[in-house]
Amino acid sequence: MNEIGELCILLSLGISIYSTIVPILGIKRGREEYIASAENSIFVTAGLITISSVILTYAFLNRDFSIEYVANYSNRDLPLFYTVSAFWAGQKGSLLFWSLLLSLFAAVVVIQNKNKNRDFMPYVISIISITQCLFLLLMTFAARPFELIYPPEDGSGLNPMLQNPGMVFHPPTLYMGYVGFTIPYAFAMASLLTGHLGDVWIKTTRRWTIFSWFFLGMGNLFGAWWAYRVLGWGGYWAWDPVENASFMPWLTGTAYLHSVMIQERRDMLKVWNMVLIVLTFSLTIFGTFLTRSGVIQSVHSFGQGPVGYYFLAFLIIAIVFSSYLIVSRLSILKSNNELDSIVSRESSFLFNNLILVGAAFATFWGTMFPLISEAIKGEKVTVGPPFFNQVNIPIGLTLLLLVGICPLIAWKKASISNFKRNFLIPFIISIIGGIALMPIGKGHLMAWLSFTISIFVITTIVMEFYKGAIARRETTGEGFVKALITLSRKNKRRYGGYIIHIGVVLMYIGITGTSYNMEKEATLKKGESMSIGDYKVVYKDIKNNTPVPTKAEVIATMDVEKDGKIIATATPRRDFYKTAEQPISRVYNLSGLKEDLYIILAGFQEDGSATFKIHVNPLVKWLWIGGLVIGAGTLIAMLPDWKGKK
Amino acid sequence: MDLGRQSIMNKKQLKFVIGSIVIVAAIGYLVVTGITRTSVYYLKVNELLSKGDSIYDKSVRVEGKVVDGSIKKDPTALKVDFRITDGTKDMTIHYEGIIPDLFEDERDVVVEGKYTREGIFKAHTLLTSCPSKYESADKSHPEEVKKI
Repeated sequence: MNEIGELCILLSLGISIYSTIVPILGIKRGREEYIASAENSIFVTAGLITISSVILTYAFLNRDFSIEYVANYSNRDLPLFYTVSAFWAGQKGSLLFWSLLLSLFAAVVVIQNKNKNRDFMPYVISIISITQCLFLLLMTFAARPFELIYPPEDGSGLNPMLQNPGMVFHPPTLYMGYVGFTIPYAFAMASLLTGHLGDVWIKTTRRWTIFSWFFLGMGNLFGAWWAYRVLGWGGYWAWDPVENASFMPWLTGTAYLHSVMIQERRDMLKVWNMVLIVLTFSLTIFGTFLTRSGVIQSVHSFGQGPVGYYFLAFLIIAIVFSSYLIVSRLSILKSNNELDSIVSRESSFLFNNLILVGAAFATFWGTMFPLISEAIKGEKVTVGPPFFNQVNIPIGLTLLLLVGICPLIAWKKASISNFKRNFLIPFIISIIGGIALMPIGKGHLMAWLSFTISIFVITTIVMEFYKGAIARRETTGEGFVKALITLSRKNKRRYGGYIIHIGVVLMYIGITGTSYNMEKEATLKKGESMSIGDYKVVYKDIKNNTPVPTKAEVIATMDVEKDGKIIATATPRRDFYKTAEQPISRVYNLSGLKEDLYIILAGFQEDGSATFKIHVNPLVKWLWIGGLVIGAGTLIAMLPDWKGKK
Repeated sequence: MDLGRQSIMNKKQLKFVIGSIVIVAAIGYLVVTGITRTSVYYLKVNELLSKGDSIYDKSVRVEGKVVDGSIKKDPTALKVDFRITDGTKDMTIHYEGIIPDLFEDERDVVVEGKYTREGIFKAHTLLTSCPSKYESADKSHPEEVKKI
């Protein structure tokens, strides 16, 4: 079977080289059938890579340990759910998974554009195919998923830390985002190559952009959620290079998502949009390079292999090629309009863009600083979370304010009355809110600002919905709720966007809660207690448990008291796996809308005493809730347009 | 094109140029001050010792291997004393906090803290680094980010 899997990859490589070259030849020679043939080869590639993926999945399910990848990432005891997800747990499988997604996305693009964008399609196919070649080359030469070994008795198993739903969903969602941005990038390049520089490429790829942006964000959020639940250090984001690697394209992607609206509406910022999509695509490749090359020390790098350098080479080619194209088209990328006033929708979008890109740059600089300083000063100097927090918090707060202002400020030139109409009430409400929040703002200026601005933004959005619904009720006579629904349905992009903004604000509130985190660690004897915040935790007992032969658990039981009443029994654990060299802490988390009580069993001694680390993390849950709200908003923004509209 | 119109255009554009420069400068300022305030040296043991007086009471990261048999753990309190070496020189570390599961003799570790005039390195962060494989590498996560 493995030979078939390997053969499919090799054939796909040949076909992808074909579908890179042939469409260009087709244009040169004016042969329509060349392009049709390239389109068909996209389907063939998708089919072959799907077969390959099915074979690898089958090998996992069949416990075929003669395949090195299967032997390294699974064993006989691994539950079905995690056996399937082991597919993308390591380097080789994740490359195949990436390739699979790209081939399927490419097939969808070909189907979508069967009868439109015929001028773009040859280039689009060619660019997607050459990206596909990168992954197939890697799988052929540097990281063969079907490499054989002498089969061991049992596989080495999947790291227990990865046996968590968060880790099952984190890689696929992230990859969907990473891969997805290839599509708008390919259309952007096609538009440069054909010289058809209107907004067709933007409109065509609008849903792809939202789709990719959404999954990239969710991928990060799943990763954060996993880290919070599994890694047991009480937080969810550590500004690790790998986290930064997927945060940077999200930032530039967010900028792009917004600035294309200016091009659609006002025919401006054409060069800027090109730069943003190139930047976003390059950062997805750069992120992969960082993760897989080991140039920057990170806690979750994939190891130092040649794989990273394939990405680096591809990255350089992509940047040189894209930059050359943009520069060569500069003269026809001229704006047909210009910025009128500094207080206008256009300029507020422009500033939002600059700030987003600035945040990406600051994050990049901090991530690469050890390399930069070593190259310039010969000394290795690192920056950690304090740097990223110090830089990104003021940037983030400015952005939050713009979330409130941008969608409502008038196009071209905002008047005083526009300001009054949209911002007077939110301004007054946020001032009142800000004053009310003064007590918790003491010593937490940034947190106070964040909450106050959040109130402002939420009020602007709620007012938008309210005003829209009232206006509709007056003209149509519909009830308020019905008016609200039809309003959103008729203008999905706008109101979906507002809902996403609400989700973003909720996430800000969740993140701001970090300012009020408390933590305490202590070694307790049975019967002893410790207090943190409003809680008193009494250590009762510790015992062993062996649920399956491969795993032993040590479970501590503790009473959680609040206001003198026992509200829960906490059971933080440490799991000892046969296959893992170190034990794994299983956090006990009592999660509420106000705060999380997060208890880690850090160690225990023979005499029954145990060491605990307890965190009280306010408002964390709002981060996850914000993610769900963004999901809902994205879905609304992506739904097909209301039929009656045109 | 008449000159009057052009100068109005330039005036308009100038505002945006200024606005953009202000934003870029503000971000640049944040980055530069952020780096100077928060960056820490990342050194090997002999590099640290050769720095002389200039290194006292500065936040530094040091990497090294735990000297065999040097670990003195206090079982009830959350602290440990040990020595690390880069093969040529070694120094004593005093660490307070939760001790990572992977911490043991001969392990490559990274400590973050300050070197004191008594010749003892007071660490607030102890991070055990693992060989490169994705799996086990994750384990160093909790220790690295604690105390921030």
